Amino acid sequence: MIEPNLDYLVPAYVREFEPYIPSKPDPELQKLYGCNHLYRLNNNENPLGPPPGAQEVIRRFPPPRGAIYPSGDSYYLRREIAACYGIDPDQVLVGNGANEVITFVIKAFCEQGDNIITADKTFAVYEWVAVFSGIETRIIPLKHERFDDRAMLAAIDEATKVIFICNPNNPTGTYWSWDTLKNFLDEVGGKQIVVVDEAYFEFVEAGDYPDGMSLLNDYPNLIVFRTFSKMYGIAGLRIGYLAGDLKVVDMIRRTCVVYSVNGLAQEAALACLRDETGHIRRTRELVRESKVFLSAEMAAMGLPVIVGEGNYLIVKLPGSDTLAYRKLMHEGIMIRPMTGFRYPNHIRVTLARMEAMKAFVAALKKILA
Amino acid sequence: MSNDQDRIVTLQLNAQMSFLPIAVQCVETVAKAFGLGREESLKLGLATEEIFSYLSGKVCRGQILDIRCVNCISYVRVEFRFPVSVLDMGALNIAAAVSCENEDDMAQMGLVLASRSVNRLYISEERKNHICLKIEKDKHYPPVQEITVAPVAVKGALTVGTPDADGIKLYVTRVARGSSHMPRPHYFQYPGQVVDMVAAGDCQVLTATDSRGECAGGVLFHFLKASIIEVFGPHVFDPAREEEIAGMLLDACIAGTVRTKAIGLLNLTGMPSFLQSQFEHLGLMKNYSHDGEAVDRSAFYRLLHEDPGCRVFTDLVLKDYLQREYKRLFLAREIREVCDQGETHTGASIFSADLYRERSVAILNPLWPGADLDANVNNHLRFLKEEGIINIFFTLDLGVSWQASLMTVLMNNHFQPALIIPFAGQADLLIFQYDRTEP
Repeated sequence: MIEPNLDYLVPAYVREFEPYIPSKPDPELQKLYGCNHLYRLNNNENPLGPPPGAQEVIRRFPPPRGAIYPSGDSYYLRREIAACYGIDPDQVLVGNGANEVITFVIKAFCEQGDNIITADKTFAVYEWVAVFSGIETRIIPLKHERFDDRAMLAAIDEATKVIFICNPNNPTGTYWSWDTLKNFLDEVGGKQIVVVDEAYFEFVEAGDYPDGMSLLNDYPNLIVFRTFSKMYGIAGLRIGYLAGDLKVVDMIRRTCVVYSVNGLAQEAALACLRDETGHIRRTRELVRESKVFLSAEMAAMGLPVIVGEGNYLIVKLPGSDTLAYRKLMHEGIMIRPMTGFRYPNHIRVTLARMEAMKAFVAALKKILA
Repeated sequence: MSNDQDRIVTLQLNAQMSFLPIAVQCVETVAKAFGLGREESLKLGLATEEIFSYLSGKVCRGQILDIRCVNCISYVRVEFRFPVSVLDMGALNIAAAVSCENEDDMAQMGLVLASRSVNRLYISEERKNHICLKIEKDKHYPPVQEITVAPVAVKGALTVGTPDADGIKLYVTRVARGSSHMPRPHYFQYPGQVVDMVAAGDCQVLTATDSRGECAGGVLFHFLKASIIEVFGPHVFDPAREEEIAGMLLDACIAGTVRTKAIGLLNLTGMPSFLQSQFEHLGLMKNYSHDGEAVDRSAFYRLLHEDPGCRVFTDLVLKDYLQREYKRLFLAREIREVCDQGETHTGASIFSADLYRERSVAILNPLWPGADLDANVNNHLRFLKEEGIINIFFTLDLGVSWQASLMTVLMNNHFQPALIIPFAGQADLLIFQYDRTEP
């Protein structure tokens, strides 16, 4: 049998890329770590789950519908999103989670020799997709835990196609204000695509936090990402979307694989948008309470925190975060070690129900004792 | 070097003695063209002669042999790729000569003689019955200058970055001329070699500089295995700001490696005590010198990501040890015991031997199982002792079930488990060290 010559067949930028290894399923982890319960504080999931209407959609999904292809371009959902923001449905593209729409954008705008710009300590997928697509990634260090607008502008050159800004930033919770974002867009002057990832938009309560959707008419080079995975609690169904100028989105649509979003996700997402039960308010209250509690507990333990918007905060530990992950797993607590975000010795903790927060604090005290 | 084509010369020929001069001439000529001096080129040619003769006579006579010369800038590597039948594989053990009835038969000494002419020799099985044998010869570099290096008094804010060639030489010189007792690789005596190693992508250097451009410290790191990065340092040149400088260098090292193929960082040569809490202490290895002195070396490690857990295989003899160690390290492992249940073992086992003569180190790795494990371990020990190698290690991949059958053999031959390196193989690597106090 002749084996394929992978050195020849596979581009070097793919060969050299280390695939991300996701966590094993919870039962496997519990078996490996010998814990009989697991508080999931690693993925910023909403402990309240989806809004009641979406839960009902999921419960009542008729099994025969499993045999039917979904709308290939999320027809009704795009109309609903467009109605919410007063834009054309064709300005919206829905993907299998926001991760997929990141791929759409990079495929649409970048070719070998181009570059993208993002930050060093932010959501890793922008960088990953660029790297395994053979696109240079210019990594700009955060300044005071925030995206450094001046340094990002200075990094732009003729080959720069896309700039990714995570607002609020995951994992620091910092954000650009209206003024900062608009000044940035003015200075870019439409020469590059600016992506503002608003995955945690619905969690932000600060008054000067900008709504990217409202800027779409003024800045045709702006693309906004949103997701149903965080506030709306349907991460397991994988659905997110982007919105932008009609002509820009028309280009991105060419790189978009239709039928990638399943029918249940589309219907549940519709129900999320139509929620009138106060799901967002309830979630914000929970996050607020947990944030206050955890900040105080960490201060009492002498552990610095980085806390801002979003349903998470970062704790600085006196030692290795990846070791802390393992120790906490043995206690039934799963957090996110931050070395992968270039914050060695830091962990990110999802702000969840008080029961989970108290269990986390107790376990952390135990492993640091 | 940007273009691989400029740094590789390949030759394909039949493994038959009539082609020996072609192979030798090719390697010598290419070595010179790649920048080796006359003496080094001749030695590489000599090693090629021994290997080619040996392969033509004992291993793959008449088969296609690929010879690839690679300009690695600071050294030249010659790779021999060939097929081998199961029957002939035993001859690939570097210690095969020791087991011959007639030890004067120089034809059996091919690999041994070759190993004496080069800096490093490796054997690996790239795919079933296809072997790659590599030899490497370093270029000659002038040693670090005997100059007094003035102490550094760092001023102002520090920045960490990738230095230019002069910056690398300054960093290496400061480390070599400094008073640190931290052990370091031999190339820290040759600043020009480190510059070339960085240019070749064999390692990376980061330095911290102050507001006036003074070098306040540095760190050197490289891939030791496919997913393990070995770190030397951080080295700090201004003790007054030691914690700040070392912390910045380590953070930058992690930032530069965390989104690569690396799963973990490994330090075998010591680090400032205040950084040790960021690492996990894997265990101790002894470093013997020719005067008989033994120095304990701590191995520090940190995973760069979540531990996904894995399955490891063990013989009963080390089950307790592994359970203890994994508990101490908080690593999630499913430990599966394997044991001999009377099945038949046939053929000759093969161990690859990585020889680092400048450090008097040999690392043995099992490539292929066989019926002669105990005899093969004995042969290797005899051979390595005769060659004057005093630091002998044996690595077992705990993710490969048959390798667990070597555990008892190694223990019976006075090897002791020293430490586990997570994810350094298909699963974790268990490193054994030969106990020199044993006869």
